[in-house]
Amino acid sequence: MSDAVATREALRVVGQPVARHDARDKVSAATAYAADWALPGMLHAAVLRSPYPSARIVRLETKRAAAMAGVAIVLTAKDVPRNTLATDVPGQTTAVGPLRATLHVLAEDRVRHQGEPIALVAAETLELAQAAVEAIEIEYEVTQGVFTPEAALAPGAPAVHGPGNQLARWRVARGDVARALKDAAVVVEGEYTTQLVDAAYLEPESGVAWIDSDGVITIRLSTQVIEHFRDVAEVLQVPQNRVRVIGTYLGGGFGGKEDVTVEAYLGLLALKTGRPVKMVWTRQESLLSRAKRHPYRLRYRTGANANGEIVAQQIELLADAGAYAYLSALVLLYSTVTAAGPYRVANVEVDARVAYTNNPPTSAMRGFGAMQTVFAYESQMDRVARTLGMDPLALRRVNALRRGDTLPVGQVIETHVALPELCEKAWAALGPPAPPRAPHLKVGRGLACNFQPYGRIVWLHDWASAWVGFEMDGSLVVRCGCPDVGGGQASSLCQIAAEVLGVPLTRISVHVSDSALTPLAGTTTASRQLYMSGNAVLKTARELRAPLLRVAVTLLGGDADELDMDEGNVMTPDGRTLAIAELLRECARVGVPRSHLGVYHAPAGEPVDLARGSGKVFPDYTFGAHAAEVEVDTETGVVRVLGYTAAHDVGRAINPQSVEGQIQGGAVQGLGYGLMEEVVVEDGINLTTSFATYLIPTAADVPDVRAVVVESGEGLGPFNARGIGEPPIGPPAAAIANAIEDATGARLTRLPITAERVARGLGLLA
Amino acid sequence: MIARLVLNGRTREVEVRANQTLLELLRDTLGIFDVKEGCDEGVCGVCTVLLDGRPASSCLVLAAGLRGSAVTTLRGLERNGGLHPLQDAFVRHGAVQCGFCTPGMLLTALAFLERQPRPDRAAIRAALEGNLCRCTGYTKIVDAVEAYVRESHA
Amino acid sequence: MYPFEYAAAATLDDALGLLREHGDEAKVLAGGQSLIPILQYRLARPRVLIDINGLPLGDIVFEDGRVRLGALVRHHQLEESDAIARRCPVLGEAARLIGNVRVRTLGTVGGSLAHADPAAELPAVMTALDARLAVAGPSGRRTLAARDFFTGLLTTALAPDEILTDVEISALPAHGWAVEELSRRAGDFAIVAVVALVSLDGRGHVDDARLVFGGVADRPVQARAAEDALRGREPSTDALARAAQVARDALDPPSDAFVSGAYRRHVAGVLGRRALTRAVERARR
Repeated sequence: MSDAVATREALRVVGQPVARHDARDKVSAATAYAADWALPGMLHAAVLRSPYPSARIVRLETKRAAAMAGVAIVLTAKDVPRNTLATDVPGQTTAVGPLRATLHVLAEDRVRHQGEPIALVAAETLELAQAAVEAIEIEYEVTQGVFTPEAALAPGAPAVHGPGNQLARWRVARGDVARALKDAAVVVEGEYTTQLVDAAYLEPESGVAWIDSDGVITIRLSTQVIEHFRDVAEVLQVPQNRVRVIGTYLGGGFGGKEDVTVEAYLGLLALKTGRPVKMVWTRQESLLSRAKRHPYRLRYRTGANANGEIVAQQIELLADAGAYAYLSALVLLYSTVTAAGPYRVANVEVDARVAYTNNPPTSAMRGFGAMQTVFAYESQMDRVARTLGMDPLALRRVNALRRGDTLPVGQVIETHVALPELCEKAWAALGPPAPPRAPHLKVGRGLACNFQPYGRIVWLHDWASAWVGFEMDGSLVVRCGCPDVGGGQASSLCQIAAEVLGVPLTRISVHVSDSALTPLAGTTTASRQLYMSGNAVLKTARELRAPLLRVAVTLLGGDADELDMDEGNVMTPDGRTLAIAELLRECARVGVPRSHLGVYHAPAGEPVDLARGSGKVFPDYTFGAHAAEVEVDTETGVVRVLGYTAAHDVGRAINPQSVEGQIQGGAVQGLGYGLMEEVVVEDGINLTTSFATYLIPTAADVPDVRAVVVESGEGLGPFNARGIGEPPIGPPAAAIANAIEDATGARLTRLPITAERVARGLGLLA
Repeated sequence: MIARLVLNGRTREVEVRANQTLLELLRDTLGIFDVKEGCDEGVCGVCTVLLDGRPASSCLVLAAGLRGSAVTTLRGLERNGGLHPLQDAFVRHGAVQCGFCTPGMLLTALAFLERQPRPDRAAIRAALEGNLCRCTGYTKIVDAVEAYVRESHA
Repeated sequence: MYPFEYAAAATLDDALGLLREHGDEAKVLAGGQSLIPILQYRLARPRVLIDINGLPLGDIVFEDGRVRLGALVRHHQLEESDAIARRCPVLGEAARLIGNVRVRTLGTVGGSLAHADPAAELPAVMTALDARLAVAGPSGRRTLAARDFFTGLLTTALAPDEILTDVEISALPAHGWAVEELSRRAGDFAIVAVVALVSLDGRGHVDDARLVFGGVADRPVQARAAEDALRGREPSTDALARAAQVARDALDPPSDAFVSGAYRRHVAGVLGRRALTRAVERARR
C-alpha cells in the first residue's frame, strides 16, 4: 500500500496520547467487571481446598453437604466428565511437546499442594455454599512432601508425580566457557536467590456461567485467554462450539489469569445444575491457591577482559515449579534464552532445570522467566564493573548487543538495539544527585538493563485475526478476540483502525474478547497483543480500504493510490471529498463488501535444539535501561527510593500515554519485587494469605517513575511498535541492588531486599 | 434488621442480614457496583465509600449498624449527569488502566482535598497510601490529582 | 461471612446485660477494623456481636489538668484535635501513624487498646503516659493502670463481661515527646514502635523519662532501667545513646516468619535513641 499511513510525519491518530474509551467508563464505574453480573436464579459457588501440601485423600463424603438446605450440588473428581487434561501453551493451536502440561480439574486420590481444589459446591447464597464446603466430610493421610527444588532433585526424594521430580531441562552451549574463564582477567562468581511472588491483581478471579437459550455454555469471566473455551469443552466432553467464553475488562491480569482459573468449575456447575452460577475467589483463596512466579536459584560465573569485554558466562538456573507444571517448561525456556543478558558474549553455557515440589504451583507472571534472570545478570555486570574499576554505563556500552549479533541460542538480532542510548538517557534523567540528609543516610545510584522477548516463540506459529467493518452511516466497528487487561489493548486497536480508515475515534466502537463473536486473536500475554492483534487490525483495515478506494475512484476519478481517508471522508489530492456514507451506498450497489475479516500470521519457525545454538526462538526483543537513586539508612537498613527512571525502546508508541503508564506500572511492580513482596511458604504452608501479610507497594513507598520513551522506528508490531507490557518489570530489583552497593558497598543477592537483609549485609546484626 | 442510610443523597431503609456488610448491601442488594470487593480486610481500598464524608472500608462496616449515616459512592459525585472534574482529570492524564482501584482513589482524593485543598505531590501520595494500585505505579494518579488542584484554583 | 447474630446496645447497661447473657459467645463491636477481618478470615467465630457504637463514649474531655478519652473516640479525632495537639501531642502523633485513613475513620481508642496488638501504637503510648483505663462490669467500675492492662499476646485484663469505657491521662508537666516506628511498608503494622517522653528540670537535666516499646514482646515493654539511667542526668548525646543501649539489651524479641528477633532488638536500640533525642529536643523548646 502506498503509505501515506506509514511515514511518521503523516500519522494523525497513532502516536497521539488519546484518552482511552474504557477510561471514561472506568472513572464512572460503568464498566461491568466479571463480578458485577447477576442473573435470575443464580447460584453461588465455593471450593473445598486441601489444607495439606502432600496427602492422600482417604475418605471423601459429600452426602451431608449436598443435603443441606439451599445447596444445589456438590461435585468431586468423579463427577467431572474429563478430569485430567493435557494442555498446551494457552491459546495456541500448535503443540510443542515439551511444553505440554497435565492438569487435574479436581483432586482425585492425592493432593500435592496446599490449596489444591478437591470439591465444588453451588448453593443459593455464598454463605450457604461456604457452610456446605465446611460440611464435606474428608479425611487425609498426610504424606511426606518435598519443599525445595534441591531436595526434590536429590536421590530418594518423595515423588511429586513420577520419580525424579525434574520437570524440564534446557541447555545452551556456545564456544568454550571453561577455557575463556581460565583466560579471563577477572572472574566474578555470584549466587542469587529470587522469591515466590503473587500477581496480586486487585480484582480476584471471578466469573459467572450460564446455559444460553441455544444451549451454549456461556462463561463470562476475568481472563487473559478466551481460547480456554476449548479446555472447558474437553473437561465437559462437549463439542468446542458449544462453549463460549466472554472475557470482561480485567481488573488486572499480569499472567495470573493466563491459565484456567474459574472457568472449568463454572462450566461444570452450570451444566450440571442448569442454572447460572457465580464464583468469586476470596483474596485469601487467591493468595493461597493461584499459581505464582517461579522462585529461582541463579549461579553465575562471569569472565571479563581487562577492557571490560565479557568473554564468558557460565550459568546454572534452578527453578521451583511447585506441584503442577502449568507453564513452567516455557518459563524456563525464556530464562535460558535471556540468561546471559542483552550482551554479546562469545562463550556461554546455561544449564537450566525446573523441579516439582509440594509448594504452591508456579506459572505465568509478567516477565515470564526473563525477569528473574535480570537480577542475576545485572548484578553480575555491576560487580564486574566494580572489580575492573570501570564505569557501569561504560561496561554496558562495551558489551551491548548490536544488530547482526547472535544470541547464545543462535538467534541473530535483526532489529536496532538502542541499549547504549537507553542507558545514557535513563541515567541522565535521574537529574542532579540528592544531597544526603544526615550522616547515617547514604545515597547511591544504580543502573540495570534488560531485554524481554515480545511475541510468542516462533515455533508456535502464532496468529491473530480481526474483523473491521463500516456501518452504513460511516461509523466503524472493530471486533477482535483480544482480552483487555487494563493496558489499553482495546483502545490501541481503535487508534490503528482510525489511522488507516480516517474515521474519528468517537465514531469507532470495539468489541473484544468473546470466543463466539469476535475473531480469535490469542492470549493477552507474552507482550504479544499489540504485535499480534495490532498487526491483525492493521492488516484487516488495509485490506478493507483497498477495494473501497477502487470504488471511490469510480466516483471521484484519479488514482486509488493518491486518495486519502480522513475525518470520515475520502479525499482527492486537489481537495474534492466524498463522504464515507455515500461511498458505502455505492459499494453496496456494486457488491463490494464494507467489512473484512483478516488474519495476521507471525513469521514462524521450527523448534530448535537450544543446546546446538541453531536458531530463532523469539520474534524480537524489547530493550530497556532503568536507573535508581536510593537512600540507605545505615543504622536500620531501611531503603528509600528517591528517584527512578525507566527507558525503553518501544519502536513506535501507538499511544504515548499508555506506553508511559505501562512503563511506570511495570517499574513499580518490579520495585515491589525488589523490596517487599514475598509469598512465605514453610514446609508447603503459605503464611502470606492476606493483603496484610503479602505486601505490595503503596503510593508512599515509591517515587515518581520518569518514563523515557525511545522510538527507534524498528519493531515487528503495527507501525513498527514493540511490545511493552512485560519489559519494564525486569530491571528494578537489580537497579536497586546496584544502587545499594553504590551507596554502602554491601551487595544484596537475595530478594526481596528487606531492611533486615540490608542490615545484615551492613554487618549491623553481628 | 433494618439499615438506615442516606445513600448518595437519598434516604434508604433496607432489610439486611445480621452479618451483611455495607459492601454486600450496596452490591448484592442495591445493585450498586461503584464499590468493588478486593480483600475483605480493609487493606486494598477498592471498597471505599465516604461515610459521613470520611473514607471507610465498606467491607468492614456492618449494614445493620447504619443509623442514618450518609454514604457516598462514586455516582454521588456526578454533576448534572457529567463527570466530576477530578474524574475528567483521571481520564485525561492516563490515571486509569484496569480501573479497579479508580473509584476508591477518586473518593479518597476528594475527601482529602476537602480538608487540604492545596497539597503538594508528597502530601497527595501520603493521602492515597491506603489505596492500592497494581497497574499504574501511581505516578499518573498523582499527576491527575495535582492537575485537578491546579485547575480548580486557576 | 459465617452467620452470626447482631445486637445493638443503646446504653452501657444494655451492653453489659448482653455480654452477661451471651458470655464468651459474644464479642463487642466498636470500629470493627480489627474484629471484622478476624471474622472474615474465620480466625474467631463469635455467635453474637454486640454493637456499642451507640453508647455515649465518644468525647474528648479536658478538665483539671487531665485528659479523658471516651472508648469510642475515633483515631481521626485524636489526629485532628487542636486541643490534643496543644496539650498531649504524643497522642495525635501516635494516632496519625495508625493504619490507613479508613482505619482512622472508624477505628476507636478503646478498640485498639482492647485488641492489644503488641505492635500497635496506642497501647505503647498509654503505657508511657501512665494512663488509667476505666472498665465497667457487672460488679461496677474499676480502673487499671495501662501497664497492668496488657497481659499477653492480644490479651488484656478485661474480663469477658467487661467493657472498656474510657481512658484517663494526667497531663504531665511540659514534656518533650516522640514516636518512632519502622514497618515493612508504608502504613503497615510496625515492626518496632517506640514512644519517648522526657521532661527537663530547671538545670536542663532529665526530670522524668518514659521509654516504651511496641512490637518487641507480647505486650508493650517499658524500659525502666533505661529510664532510671536518665533521671537526674544531663541528656547528652552519649547519655541518650547509653540509655538506648540499656533498653535494647534488656529486650529479647521473638522471631516470626518475616522479621527476626535480632533485627527487632537492633532496631529498638536505634529507634530508642532517635526517639529520646527528638523528645529531648522538643523538651528544650
